[in-house]
Amino acid sequence: MSAGTGYTEYGPDICSSTLASHIMTTPQWDELADLALTRLRGAGVEYGDVRVIDSATQTIRGEDRRIAKIREGSDRGIGIRVLYRGAWGFAASSVLSLEEIPRIADQAVDIAKGSASLAIEKVHLAHEPVHRDSIVTAHRVDPFTVPLEEKTSLLLEIMDYVHRQHGIVRSAASLWAQRDRKLFVSTEGSHIDYDLLAVQGDFSATGLYDGRFATRSFTTPHLRTGYELITGTNFLAEAPRVATQAMEKVRAPIIDSGRYDLVLDPEHLSLTMHESCGHPSELDRALGYEANYAGTSFLTPDRRGNFRYGSGHVNLVADNTEPETLAATGYDDDGVACQKWDIVRDGMFVGYCTNREVALKINEGRSRGSNRADSWSSVPIVRIANIGLEPGGATLDELLSDVKRGLYIEGHGSYSIDQRRYNFQFGGDAFWLIENGRRTHMVRDVIYHGITPEFWNSCDGIADRSHRRRYGFITCGKGQPGQSGWMTHAASHARFRQVQVIQGGAQT
Amino acid sequence: MTTQPSKLWPKMTGWEEFHFLTDFVLEHSSGDHTSLTLYDQHGGTTRFANNQIVQNVDTRRGSLAVTVAFGRRHGTATTTDFTAGAVQDTLKRAEHIARVSPEDPEYLPPVGPKQYLSLPTNRPETAVAGPARRLEYAREAVSQCKMENLNSAGTVSSSLTAVGVAANTGLLAYEERTEARFSLTVQADDATGWAAAAHRSIDHLKVQERTLTAIEKAKRGADEPKELEAGRYTVILEPAAVAGLLSWMLWMLDAKSFDKGTSPFVGKLGQRIIDRRLTLRNQPDHADLLGSGFTSDGLPVTESVWIEGGVLKQLMYDRFTAREHGIEPIATLESPCLSGERPAGSRVSDLIRTTQRGILVTNFWYIRTVNPTDLTLTGMTRDGTFLVENGEIVTAVRNFRFHESPLRAFNQIDAFTAPAEAVTSETGKLLVPAMRIHNFNFSSVTRF
Repeated sequence: MSAGTGYTEYGPDICSSTLASHIMTTPQWDELADLALTRLRGAGVEYGDVRVIDSATQTIRGEDRRIAKIREGSDRGIGIRVLYRGAWGFAASSVLSLEEIPRIADQAVDIAKGSASLAIEKVHLAHEPVHRDSIVTAHRVDPFTVPLEEKTSLLLEIMDYVHRQHGIVRSAASLWAQRDRKLFVSTEGSHIDYDLLAVQGDFSATGLYDGRFATRSFTTPHLRTGYELITGTNFLAEAPRVATQAMEKVRAPIIDSGRYDLVLDPEHLSLTMHESCGHPSELDRALGYEANYAGTSFLTPDRRGNFRYGSGHVNLVADNTEPETLAATGYDDDGVACQKWDIVRDGMFVGYCTNREVALKINEGRSRGSNRADSWSSVPIVRIANIGLEPGGATLDELLSDVKRGLYIEGHGSYSIDQRRYNFQFGGDAFWLIENGRRTHMVRDVIYHGITPEFWNSCDGIADRSHRRRYGFITCGKGQPGQSGWMTHAASHARFRQVQVIQGGAQT
Repeated sequence: MTTQPSKLWPKMTGWEEFHFLTDFVLEHSSGDHTSLTLYDQHGGTTRFANNQIVQNVDTRRGSLAVTVAFGRRHGTATTTDFTAGAVQDTLKRAEHIARVSPEDPEYLPPVGPKQYLSLPTNRPETAVAGPARRLEYAREAVSQCKMENLNSAGTVSSSLTAVGVAANTGLLAYEERTEARFSLTVQADDATGWAAAAHRSIDHLKVQERTLTAIEKAKRGADEPKELEAGRYTVILEPAAVAGLLSWMLWMLDAKSFDKGTSPFVGKLGQRIIDRRLTLRNQPDHADLLGSGFTSDGLPVTESVWIEGGVLKQLMYDRFTAREHGIEPIATLESPCLSGERPAGSRVSDLIRTTQRGILVTNFWYIRTVNPTDLTLTGMTRDGTFLVENGEIVTAVRNFRFHESPLRAFNQIDAFTAPAEAVTSETGKLLVPAMRIHNFNFSSVTRF
């Protein structure tokens, strides 16, 4: 469907004491966008784009066997970005009226004029063909048409299952869905409308034993698909396992600090990749744009093509074209078509995530299409793509069989990394001791840390494509004001040799 | 097509408009209980890096949340569209959710009418500050750095937010809140220095003074940093670093987790948890904190004592858990101030001067829990980490990763200063002292 249709609403503006009887018609999106573009062209901007977005979000959250929150959000507005005299300006508003559009268009231009007064070099944009397209998330079941009762019943049932396990004292379960209807137009002539969906569900169980507590979690990936993701997941079969493992985890012994071989599962690796490869491969960071907040990067442009990031087993590929993944939206918020490219090939660092502004600074003629804003009110910034670890040729059993003493780690736990992405530290959701090639029993409070390239150079085996799983992130923080980035990271299990492990408690 | 008369937008939602919105929603609602929450914000951020502007934005966002309850069934819907049709649609969605949702045993009706502190939350100088004022401050910071041949990155932001909470119980609260922020990272080759500020008044950001602080830090670190081994050190934590650790303590004070046994404070209520000289208060009327009159639930914000003489006196109660315990009124903690008896001075330099050997930490970064049972945290030092010997800063050192619990560290305090303003990218604004702490655990070192 076209994002420019179906959004006409009528009614008095009730936010003005003088307007109770004043009838306002909200105009069509195309009409608003055309008005903005006309205004920008009249002001003589070098470039301008307009994004009109209506995001509908449904969040259902269960907690300790009750439904604590059901919230449906509608977030609608317009953002106008201009390049004027080689500098950026951006203005946005949740008021979609024919009167507000010229105001914010003019303000964006005025702001750009101010930016130009404090510029050293002018912004230029890499060339991108004009696109006229319509993007719709393929899905079988619209999550917003599924009765709420069905969803709340599922969550309550999951939590009931979890609490059947003796020792479980807390539970949580949630379902989430978002639909983004968006219109992107630019002064270059691009016109792209979107109807995008994303869906996810999760739950957790917290066990209490001997004065300490531990949580075990289960999550579906965040995917661009329909409610079939939820109905296709057997939550009720997973719930007893998760609850049992929560109690096993809280009762598990701690291990000695020291060096261990690690076998990491795809969900765990999604976070490791995100922090230690995704963020350092954002070119805006490497160029200093994020120096005051998210940080810079050890992957500086002079290292591209000649820095050994990992072992020869390691191939990290950005793929914003894979169906269902979060960053596969057809085009980014520069209006650049989504692409697939290498970040690390045979262990060598070879590529960045870029936008139209920064691509030219490393002499790349075209953006990689990784410029994204988290809403109409945010300006797009370089974002991590769907970076995934290419599968190898082993099975999981083969990876484990060659480990004399190691740890098998599943899921996400504690995570922290320095602002150049060298020194990292990760926990996990569950840990098993590997002895003589076999997973034996759970252990707890495991933390491993290292230096990013040393860690990836210790990778000596990756499982084959049959083990590949995808996990998505929707809360990747970056930018000022802060924005939440969306991307998917896929991997098969991988093995890392002799990684430093410490105990995750104050006793260390 | 009919358009609105001019000059209606971007008029913020004022008291009268919020009252009008409230009446409109309550009149049309079929719920047993109906409440609405308004956030209408107009603000912007000027962001610079490499000594030039890289992002410059101004945004108007109005948001209205409507919650409806039938008995113990409740639902919430939100909108950014304030036209009557959209507001009615939002109310209908909330009603629909409430009708089909299961009963929530912890549901409580909205609070009734309350008396609130009248605080100067709206500072006119901030409310009228727009892109030009933000640009002026950005230019001031960048110019100072350029004069020193240093590279700057930072932000200047300002906003005005109209906040309202109302319900058919008679609850009706409205407040306009301004906020201005400044943050700066100065780069001298591989070294960085940092300073930040947040205040209701944009006139109190002290841009020049804080820029000089960040410049001095960066210049001190410009020589090749020394690599020290990981281990336990005496540390001098500047207020921002203390705020990073303290904030995690405060976020974990949830009373429900305490009841369920999943809190690091189990068994510690009424016990001494930190140094006996320290007291934590909520001070909503402190001029340098971002106090407000009421919470998002419509509860009055009041002064309260949370830690007294090192003893934990208070937990963070949701309304249901508070009722279970007969807690009334519910203490809130928006404006934390940690202060102590007999401070060693008012400045960090007062601690440096009396330190034989230690590590001076400007700030922590990426703090996360490692073990929620004992509140072990991890994070990195950032933007100015130095070795202090014989009362002087002698060299910059490579950044450390810490692995430490504030419940342990704040019991090993040797000396502290009077409280000072602290705001970081990971915390709200607090008033906290700088501290000298013994045996602080640095578990590893990074490459810079």
